[in-house]
Amino acid sequence: MNILRIACKELLQDLRDRWTLIFMLAFPIVLMMILGFALGNAFESTQTIDKIHVLMKDTGENKALSEGFSVFSAEVSKSGILFEELKPGVDGKEEVRKGKYADYVELTGNGILLYSSNFIKLEHQILQGTLTAFAEKFKVGSTIAMLQPDQMEVLTSGSTDHNYIQETSLIPNRKPGAIDYYALAMTAVVALWGAMSAGQLITTEIRQGTAYRLVSAPINKGEIFAGKVLGNLVVNMLCVVIIIFFSKYAFGAYWGDHLSVVILLLLSQVIMAVSLGLAVSYIFQEAASRAILLIITQLGAVFGGAYFPFEEAGIEMTRLLKFIVGLSPVHWTNSALTGIVYRNEIWEAWPVFTVNIGLAAVMLTIAALIMRRKEGL
Amino acid sequence: MNVLEIRELTKKFGEFIAVDNMSLTVREGEIFGFLGANGAGKSTTINLIASLLRPSSGDIRILDRDIAKHSRFTKMNLGIVPQDLAIYKDMTAYENVSFFTGLYGLRGAELRERTEEALKFVGLEDKMKGYPKNFSGGMKRRLNIACAIAHRPKLIIMDEPTVGIDPHSRNYILNSVRKLNEMGCTIIYTSHYMEEVEEICSRLAIIDHGKIIAEGTKEQLVATITDVKEIRIELKKGSDNLLGILRGIPGVRNVDMKEQTIRIFCDLEVDNLGLILKALIDQDADIRSVEEQEPNLETVFLTLTGRTLRD
Repeated sequence: MNILRIACKELLQDLRDRWTLIFMLAFPIVLMMILGFALGNAFESTQTIDKIHVLMKDTGENKALSEGFSVFSAEVSKSGILFEELKPGVDGKEEVRKGKYADYVELTGNGILLYSSNFIKLEHQILQGTLTAFAEKFKVGSTIAMLQPDQMEVLTSGSTDHNYIQETSLIPNRKPGAIDYYALAMTAVVALWGAMSAGQLITTEIRQGTAYRLVSAPINKGEIFAGKVLGNLVVNMLCVVIIIFFSKYAFGAYWGDHLSVVILLLLSQVIMAVSLGLAVSYIFQEAASRAILLIITQLGAVFGGAYFPFEEAGIEMTRLLKFIVGLSPVHWTNSALTGIVYRNEIWEAWPVFTVNIGLAAVMLTIAALIMRRKEGL
Repeated sequence: MNVLEIRELTKKFGEFIAVDNMSLTVREGEIFGFLGANGAGKSTTINLIASLLRPSSGDIRILDRDIAKHSRFTKMNLGIVPQDLAIYKDMTAYENVSFFTGLYGLRGAELRERTEEALKFVGLEDKMKGYPKNFSGGMKRRLNIACAIAHRPKLIIMDEPTVGIDPHSRNYILNSVRKLNEMGCTIIYTSHYMEEVEEICSRLAIIDHGKIIAEGTKEQLVATITDVKEIRIELKKGSDNLLGILRGIPGVRNVDMKEQTIRIFCDLEVDNLGLILKALIDQDADIRSVEEQEPNLETVFLTLTGRTLRD
């Protein structure tokens, strides 16, 4: 009962601390909004491409190739790749250089030659992929023609089930936009901020003299400890839930179909963060513990990709950087959240959940042992 | 019956001995004064009684039970008014008292009743919904007391409860201490104001360097000082240079100065008033009045510790 009494007192005080509450809620929301809009393009998952005009020249040196290509060009024209015959006296490469055509293709006795002015351009990459698919198929066809000529019809029949362009995506269900990304990342950061407030839990009581009254009351230190931790957990979790629902309904951020698992995962991070804050505050002096927790939370946020995702920012992920990123609790949680929300892979929650709770148990044990040995709170 | 019994209590912080083999008894119904200069070991002793610190050796018994073995029982019967305010500034006066009193197992209507009773007792019944951050120093001190008495403890320890407050609040608190005592509470009272201790305490102990150096009623303590007299000389303008000169006069044990008044503690049998006045005149001191005081607690304290209470 005393644990609940102390927890309720914590809740009351934290909810009355308007400025801290505003910081805890407004800061991530504003950041989510600013970064979400500023980096919106970096997260764009769709790019509209108009028809791809390709100039082509058939030298006629390989009849089978010419026939096959004719079927191929008719097929891919349905997908918007249009081949136009090179007119006499016109330099195909020059036309491409001038930007009149996306690419220039030559069918020769040695195979297919492809020229482009911009190898990075998406149009070129689509054409290259499509031609590669055709060339592979043609090679198979040629082999069949040599071994079993009666099956050649397959290649030249004009059947329409040739699927040269297949839509593939690394994340077939859904890919996060900027707001979606920052909603997950910022919420994970808010969960980690629990360490900051937990770091002040005991020192605040000592500073305002109330530790004296708590210790001289007929309750044991374990009850004080548990009540304060419980109250702090509830406040931090409340902030996390508010951020989730605000981002979902105000910014339309996508949180997937497994919100309960998402909340459970974030709860595990809040528990871990609160335990971290407590352990650090017991191990180090007040000023040092505050600085340490500030550094941990800030680095955790940066390397967890809360302010910018490393891959999207084009930063090369060296082994060292990968290792550092891997140490960030924001990264663990963010990765698991992405799996749950965008790939429906609920199992991704459990390893992170286990790590968070395991670390929390270790740190709470350290804090409790130091507290027991210490005089007063 | 002994409400508090301290036996051979020692508290060490590393090599430093804050409380040195202290033994003390406080009887039921007493207002017991606990006197000591800063750093004498008063607060450490109170912290040990409050279980905020663990003794290095010795034991403390409240109502005949060891506080280490019967922690819950002894804490239930103990109320502490710490020297520093121990209240939540972001909780109302009512919430503060109610929260702390609730930790003593009180619930529902009884808790409400006790909370209101305590706030009324300290004169804050019309400030129940007020926040301490908006209170005067005196009101905060009174709230500090309310938080310690609402659970009706048998022993209340008040550590400097009147520090830094206005005379009205101070009188209110002193009257409250008397009333609590009349209601059956035993009180241990510490203060830097000797006149407060003289006014309300029935018995007292003087602590110095972690040891009890004198214990008894005011009269008993004063009676032990039969060989010292106090001469008070009021000057138009005081000067610290005078103190050194006066200390060199035969028969002078100690000298201190508060504003323009010099207090000189001398051996009773030595007639040195002439020498003292001559020394002052030689230094061009403008003397306004000269007065020989009867020995009092201040004299006792200074004689025993060599310091004034405010040192």
